[in-house]
Amino acid sequence: MKILKIKNLTVLNRNTKEILLNNISFELNQGEILGIVGESGSGKTLTGLSILGLLDKSIFTIQSGSIIYNDIDILKLSDSQIQKIRTKSISVVFQEPMLSLNPVQKISAQLIEVIRIHMNYSPNEQIKVARDILIKTGLNDTQKILDSYPHMLSGGQRQRIMIAIALVCKPEILIADEPTTALDVTLQLQILELLKNVKSENNMSMVLISHDLDLIKNYADKVIILKNGILLEEGSSFEIFNTPNHEYTKSLINSRPEKLVTKKIESDVLLDIQNLSCRFPINNAFFNKNKKYFTALREINFHINSGETIGLVGESGSGKTTLGLSIMQLLNYSGKIFLNNVDLSSLTLDKLRESRKDYQIVFQDPYSSLSPRMNILEILSEGILSFNNISESEILKKCSDLMSEVGLEPSMLKRYPHQFSGGQRQRIAIARALSMKPKLIIFDEPTSALDVIVQKNILKLIVDLQNKYGLSYCFISHDLKVISAISHRIYVIKDSKIVESNNSDELISNPKNDYTRKLIQSSFII
Amino acid sequence: MNIQSSFWDKFLKNKRNKYSLLIFIFFFILSLFAEILSNDKPIVLSMDDKLYFPIFISYTDKEFGGFFDTEADYKDEFITSRLKEESNWAIFPLNPHSYDSINISQSTPNPASPSTYNYLGTDDRGRDVLARLIYGFRLSVLFAFALTAIGIIIGIFFGAIQGYFAGRVDLYMQRFIEIWSSMPELYILIIFSSLFEPSISLLIILLSLFGWMGLSDYVRAEFLKGRNMEYVIAARTLGLSNTKIILKHILPNSMVSVITFLPFRISGAILVLTSLDFLGLGVPPDTPSLGELLAQGKENIEAWWLSLTTFLVLVGTLLLLIFIGEGIRESLDSRSS
Repeated sequence: MKILKIKNLTVLNRNTKEILLNNISFELNQGEILGIVGESGSGKTLTGLSILGLLDKSIFTIQSGSIIYNDIDILKLSDSQIQKIRTKSISVVFQEPMLSLNPVQKISAQLIEVIRIHMNYSPNEQIKVARDILIKTGLNDTQKILDSYPHMLSGGQRQRIMIAIALVCKPEILIADEPTTALDVTLQLQILELLKNVKSENNMSMVLISHDLDLIKNYADKVIILKNGILLEEGSSFEIFNTPNHEYTKSLINSRPEKLVTKKIESDVLLDIQNLSCRFPINNAFFNKNKKYFTALREINFHINSGETIGLVGESGSGKTTLGLSIMQLLNYSGKIFLNNVDLSSLTLDKLRESRKDYQIVFQDPYSSLSPRMNILEILSEGILSFNNISESEILKKCSDLMSEVGLEPSMLKRYPHQFSGGQRQRIAIARALSMKPKLIIFDEPTSALDVIVQKNILKLIVDLQNKYGLSYCFISHDLKVISAISHRIYVIKDSKIVESNNSDELISNPKNDYTRKLIQSSFII
Repeated sequence: MNIQSSFWDKFLKNKRNKYSLLIFIFFFILSLFAEILSNDKPIVLSMDDKLYFPIFISYTDKEFGGFFDTEADYKDEFITSRLKEESNWAIFPLNPHSYDSINISQSTPNPASPSTYNYLGTDDRGRDVLARLIYGFRLSVLFAFALTAIGIIIGIFFGAIQGYFAGRVDLYMQRFIEIWSSMPELYILIIFSSLFEPSISLLIILLSLFGWMGLSDYVRAEFLKGRNMEYVIAARTLGLSNTKIILKHILPNSMVSVITFLPFRISGAILVLTSLDFLGLGVPPDTPSLGELLAQGKENIEAWWLSLTTFLVLVGTLLLLIFIGEGIRESLDSRSS
């Protein structure tokens, strides 16, 4: 039975008249999970929002089309009529659980508000319904949860509450817009299983929006592929993943990281870390003598050989970024970090500044890692000029070379960061690191903010540069798939400690630690 | 540069912004030539086939055939009668009074109401109101510019150091600011104006001692945010010095709050000067000032030309500045379209 029919939906940007959704048509059957896949900017979230009638009329214009639910065209309804459908019949779970919950209201208030508006229950029954739904979403300590404010709960708990709010009225359709993207991998699996179970229990239909192909492949019955607001391909999950027709779909499917490094390297130790610990004061009391500390890193020991990539994998909050920043000498730490047998912590400030050219870092977010008010030439030349005094024409030559090295046109040097796409910016960030001719580059989640196809190209670039210059890499990521594709050796880090390390193939095929096993399971099943 | 040009596009697109800015600039530039617009000396003077430029060069009375070695008084009967002689002539400015010229030959008692001789009347000492308004406006705006510039430089300096180095430095400086800002500014002004000869520079120094604190808070906040931006961390890993990071990386990205406050600080400074003058704590007595005119208006409540004209000039100036400031704030706000 067709429960939702979208016909020829075209949405424009009201001001620029740019077409954001171009003649989209698809149908949703009862009890089915429809996956919408696309890169950022492909219009997948927009599609979800238009089903709910949530498009901001001052920004978007719906030019044509209809969204038929129960023989009613949602696009023709008044605001108060849509209000009755939302949450009660069509519900939504957004990506960011911190932003979706009101930080100044208790969970009970936010959950019961929905029950009160949409269902006729007495106050006592309302609380009972709230508790039932929380238990259903796996939050068993209901009283504690109901009395909490959002900041007191973890990301996974918050997302469960969002799901509880979305499901409490037993809607017929649930729109899940990247429901697990902001969560750690081990949590992702739990949340998706939860959604799947609730779906089959209530015979609900679901629209699952995601950029993650593996996730869609495992959970969706039917898939549509969106690109630049155009529906490229539609079909059952099996068809799409086994016999894709469109070139773009093929490249999407091929974009899953594959093993990029093979050879095992026997060489000298470049970086040696001994007993590295790092802690931050929690209570910032100035006069308070007994300070409390949060330990971000505990007794870390590891080494990187020259020409080798090591992968550091762990959840958010595990301390992997802190480790990166400690190696970069940007944090106070205890323990010793040797680079080429020189103890970096013992260097004077001048010597330390001198040593910085040997190790560089590339950050996750290409939007905040380039100064918006400097052009690319200024960004790339800055490091070179802080150590050498060379002429302008030489600088221009060097920067042009760097640009070609990372696959960008040298003629783009006069542009500003906002004129580049995310992938291009990340290339610029890599070029900036290369400009110092370092021996070691730390990559802190360099591809997490990028679309899958771009991600694959960046990873290739990184490996090519290693082969060309014999660079050593420390690759930090939460994504085991990326890590295993690019690293020779992997260190698994959890709760400030390294719990397991091994050659990457052996670690994946034969994990010893429980946590590693769980991580591998979640990463490769989704 | 792209960010700047899009800012100007946005700013000029709004007509209110555009005309406010143009009108303000027009009057300000006009007031810079106050000596030519409103003066008791002629612009050009020809006597015995010789040309004189009294506004630019000071001539003694003797040079025109008088008896004194002091500068010639061009309103004096002696010179006016000589100017009436054949082939002698003089071109006077549009408003033939300076801010301090007293008309002794006036027949009506002071303050005199507007007439063809004094377009906006005179104050209670017989000085031309229009001349005092023109000079007073110029002084107020220049004073405000100077005060704002000094406040911004000191504010950025301290705010940047606090925000960039954070930690201990920030803690101590913040406590210092708390103590410093709890000093009663007005009483210090009153005490100092009785200790020292009142002058514009003294006023600027005293007001600058306190004026930087509001701004440094904003700069500090921007720097606290900026020091943890990834491009700043990247700059540190490139081995850049602190000064370079502050000047090239954080400051350009923190200027938004400074620029947004600029017009409001200028209008605030004008208001402070006017209030102090009104209370008699500001500039020395002879200086043309809007506040002093308002005080005279209060003393001579029946002389409407004193208070009304000054009020209009003051309100007009502040309104224009606030419109400009509002326009800048809106144009810098990336969220508004």
